[in-house]
Parts: sequence; structure tokens; C-alpha cells
Amino acid sequence: MPATPYLPTSAAFLKESSLLLQAYPDSTLITTKYTFPKPKPPTKSKSSTTTSQTAAQSTPQTQTQTPPQTQAQAQATLVLKTYNPASGICLKYRTNKAAEVGRLINALGLLAGGADISRLDGAGATAAVGGGGGEEDTGAANANATAAGAAVSTGAGANTGAGVGKGKGKRKKGKGKK
Amino acid sequence: MSKALNHEEFFTSLTTLLTSTSQKARGSVYLTQKPLLSTESTNAEQQTSIPPPILIRATDGNTNAPNPKASSSQGKEKKKKESKVKLSTVVQPDELETFYTRYAEVCKAGMTGLKKRDRKQKKAKGKSGTGKVTKA
Repeated sequence: MPATPYLPTSAAFLKESSLLLQAYPDSTLITTKYTFPKPKPPTKSKSSTTTSQTAAQSTPQTQTQTPPQTQAQAQATLVLKTYNPASGICLKYRTNKAAEVGRLINALGLLAGGADISRLDGAGATAAVGGGGGEEDTGAANANATAAGAAVSTGAGANTGAGVGKGKGKRKKGKGKK
Repeated sequence: MSKALNHEEFFTSLTTLLTSTSQKARGSVYLTQKPLLSTESTNAEQQTSIPPPILIRATDGNTNAPNPKASSSQGKEKKKKESKVKLSTVVQPDELETFYTRYAEVCKAGMTGLKKRDRKQKKAKGKSGTGKVTKA
């Protein structure tokens, strides 16, 4: 099975996922995997720890530079996957930042509710700079997503373009404000 | 298949699952969500106008089982049945927001194995970046 490429940003992942969910609202599955890397074989890890210990004993400098505790604490990763078995489309996003968890899960909630993330993203960016009705747009997006499919897709397309183009600069501004 | 828990039970169990995985620093937790389609309603329009409840599942995928290499002497089937954790709950559309707020909190609290934000950076740049921005 060919490995699915990971999307570069969470925003891209959420946008693509929302489009996939719109296309196949009933059969799309979102998986969040919180995983630690596989433990190394015991013999290898033993030898590595012993070498690091001996190194630390002989040269105290290395001990301060790389404390064994940080090495022992395996770094977990979070992988989000949106998969639609009917079409075989699979979207993935990987992160190891704790700061992203809350936002991502909340976004999954919006996706689950059928909200159009790409539209929300655009609306959010507009609101951050121009003070446009971000909240109203959110509500509208919700209603549209459930009611009129065609209207949503055209609206989403337009807003997606805007969101992608302006996203980076505007997000930075938004960051400063909040 | 295990029965759907109520939200409170689900969160409690999920917290336990996440923290135990984080403490051991090995294994995985899989969380899935998908619409729970009712087989009764045949009207397609009705289905689209009323969003279906969301089924949330959490499992450790048996990854918390003892290392098979280390304990290969034990019976394999027995181990699997013993250790696999499976949780599930159903969220109604009107409960989604409440549920996910809580869900995000539980996940944030439980997933301690992830890279923490650098404190120096946080102080220098302010709290602002915390929630919103994706900066790789």
C-alpha cells in the first residue's frame, strides 16, 4: 500500500477534510492517532544507554548537554487521518506539538457537525482584518452545509481561494491581536 | 462490540487511557469519529437536513499489550483479549459543541507526550499564538 502523503499544514488538512466530508458526508471517517514511537529492541537500547552512561561518567560535559531523561522520554506524535473508503481518498496530517491539540480537536468537532472549514477559515481571516461578520458567516456556513449543497460548494470555492491567498499574512495579524 | 458509554464515562476512561499511555511512553491511542447513520430513515432529504449523531470511538489498538518479544512464552490470544481497550460514545448533533470542548480538554490534558511549547518563546511572543495559528 502506498503511503499517503502528509499535508503540510493543519489548515490545509482541515480544508481538504471538510471538502471530503462535504462530498461524502456519510462514509467519511476521521481518525486521530496519538502514538509513541515503537520501542527499540531491548539489546540495542541497553547498549546505547550503557554507552551514554559511560560517556557521561568519563566526560561530565556530555551529561549536561544530553541528559538521559530527555532521551528516555519518547516523543509522541499525533496523526490525523481523514479517510473515505468509498473513494479511497485519504488525507493525513502529522504534528508533535502539544499546542495544536486543542485547536485540532475542536476543528474535528466542527467537521463532525458538517461545518465548512474552508469557508470558516476564509471568514475568520476576513474578520481578523476587515472586521467582517465572521460569526454570521459561521452560522451561514452551518446552515448552508446542511441545506443547500450547490450554494455551499460555489461559496466554498470562492472563499477557499481567498483563504489560501490571504491566510498567512492575516493569521499573523490575528495572532498579534488575540 | 462494547456498548456506547455516556459522555462522562467516556471522558473518564479516555483520560485514564491517555494518561497511562503517556506515562508508559509507548503504545498508541486511536480516536475515530464518524456519522452514525440510522438505518430506519430512508428519506434521503431528511437525512441531509438532520445531521446524524456522531459515533466516537477510542481504542489503544492493543498497543499497550506487553511486548510480544519480551513475553512470547504466554498465550497470544489470551493477552489480546485481556489488554485491548475499546471505548465508544454517541454524540447527538446538538451536543457536539459541548462534547468537543470537553473532548479537546481531555486530549490536551492526556497527550502529555507531545512536544511542549517552549516557555521562552511563549513569554517572548505572548500568549497569542497558542490556540489559533499553525506555524510549522
